[in-house]
Amino acid sequence: MENLHVDALVLGGGIAGMQAALDLADQGFQVALLEREPSIGGKMITLSKVFPTLDCCSCITTPKMSAVAHHPNIHLLTYCEMQSVAETGSGFRLAVVQKPRYVDVNKCTGCRKCEYECPVTLPSPFDRGLGAYRAIRVPFSTAVPQTAVLDIENCILCGKCEKVCAAGAVDFTQRAETFEIQATTLVVASGFELTPLNAKKEYGGETLQNVIDPLMMERFLAPTGPYGRVLRPGDGKEPTSIAYVQCAGSRDQTLGVEYCSRVCCMYAIKQAMLISGALPMADITIYYMDIRTFGKGYEQFYQNAQAMGVEFVRGKVAAIREDDEQNPVVKVELTEEGRIIERTFDLVVLSLGMVPTAGADGILSLPLGEDKFIAIPAPNANPCETARPGIFVTGTAMGPMDIVDSIITAGSVASAASAYIREHQKETAYA
Amino acid sequence: MSEAKTNPPSRGELLKQLREEHASSVERTQVLFREQRSLQQSICQMIRETPKTVPEIAAAIGKPSHEVLWFLAGLRKYGIVVEAGMCGDYPLYQKVEEK
Repeated sequence: MENLHVDALVLGGGIAGMQAALDLADQGFQVALLEREPSIGGKMITLSKVFPTLDCCSCITTPKMSAVAHHPNIHLLTYCEMQSVAETGSGFRLAVVQKPRYVDVNKCTGCRKCEYECPVTLPSPFDRGLGAYRAIRVPFSTAVPQTAVLDIENCILCGKCEKVCAAGAVDFTQRAETFEIQATTLVVASGFELTPLNAKKEYGGETLQNVIDPLMMERFLAPTGPYGRVLRPGDGKEPTSIAYVQCAGSRDQTLGVEYCSRVCCMYAIKQAMLISGALPMADITIYYMDIRTFGKGYEQFYQNAQAMGVEFVRGKVAAIREDDEQNPVVKVELTEEGRIIERTFDLVVLSLGMVPTAGADGILSLPLGEDKFIAIPAPNANPCETARPGIFVTGTAMGPMDIVDSIITAGSVASAASAYIREHQKETAYA
Repeated sequence: MSEAKTNPPSRGELLKQLREEHASSVERTQVLFREQRSLQQSICQMIRETPKTVPEIAAAIGKPSHEVLWFLAGLRKYGIVVEAGMCGDYPLYQKVEEK
């Protein structure tokens, strides 16, 4: 790998990172986009549809992924890890490791013959572990770059992939390579994770097979999902009754997540509407503390779900157990009626909250806020500036937000970063 | 004094080095692979002639339903198994005929 000198380095290839990179590159700046996974796309590419328009997620994300890959001003660096960062006086110098794919990206055509030939099957993180892929694989059907990657830690080194590859792309001699990037400014777009499925033991996440997280349901609802339809993962039954437990990972002092994650009400409503379409006979119940539909068109979306027959029940779920047929039994306090009931469902979705992705903030020595997301010292005046001059932040690395707001902050960060770069260029010219 | 030139390692040397570095993970994965192959063969054998549901297959081969479903998801993805209708609330799965 050759060393790079760019105006801006964007850390993270999710929707916010991609949009920020495109907005900066369109202004003529040289941009590098660094992604630790083998493909860009982030969480958004795994989703089925977006709220409140119910547009296909892949149809929005895939063109942006392609635009990033083909933009003349963007250097796309996938499967790379940032090792260290140093301030140089004229910007930042990063040491970056290119992890070995064991596949030559310049030769691989993405034909997936190696994947079909590989004998080792593994849980696919793209499908939240509910689907399968092979030790060598193209990460998912619309991955960018559309090239295979070999998981050497789960490979038996049988060499079948190498033999079947007509392009001669499989290369077991690849090793990790370290290279350097010099950038005037950094844009952190490191995204979010869900609160762990098993965070609240009383809800049975990871213990009960038919208690799932919302990203699993997204995969079931996506056309490329692991089962090709909505089935419960415990035994492959098509569910006829599904419950959503709201605030299952947010607004909860016991989890250390006291904030509202802002998207859970809307994604639960969206999924309920999509399930109604996929399984018209299914009963869908949403147990909530209060419904927060703050965005443009969101309240109407909520009312549409009610009109479609989705049952909204104000109540706090205390515990979930399993009956003899793997059915989750939800114990809930109906707060308006002041009584506790138990109700059996085929499938329960825990509406988990958003927590920051660990990693980038530590290497960059960025102060965090009380919510553990990257701190923004002046959120009203400079909403994308971190406490370190020259380092900006966008998307859910700032705090919980939906896709619309992630894209808005990406535009905002591109504007702030471009002003910083221009100022820096002026200073350099007069120096 | 001229510096001694060192030739880059050959492909054979790099492959040998790779095998040595990953000896324990290869061994672990080979065990996993043998288990997977055996289970996949059992599943495929079960649904070669007659399509079956996940609980039926799981009961017949003595494995948990969720594990069988995971294998079927993988077999379906790679075109080895297809859905063949429904039995109540459960999809039926059948092995694709080999050409």
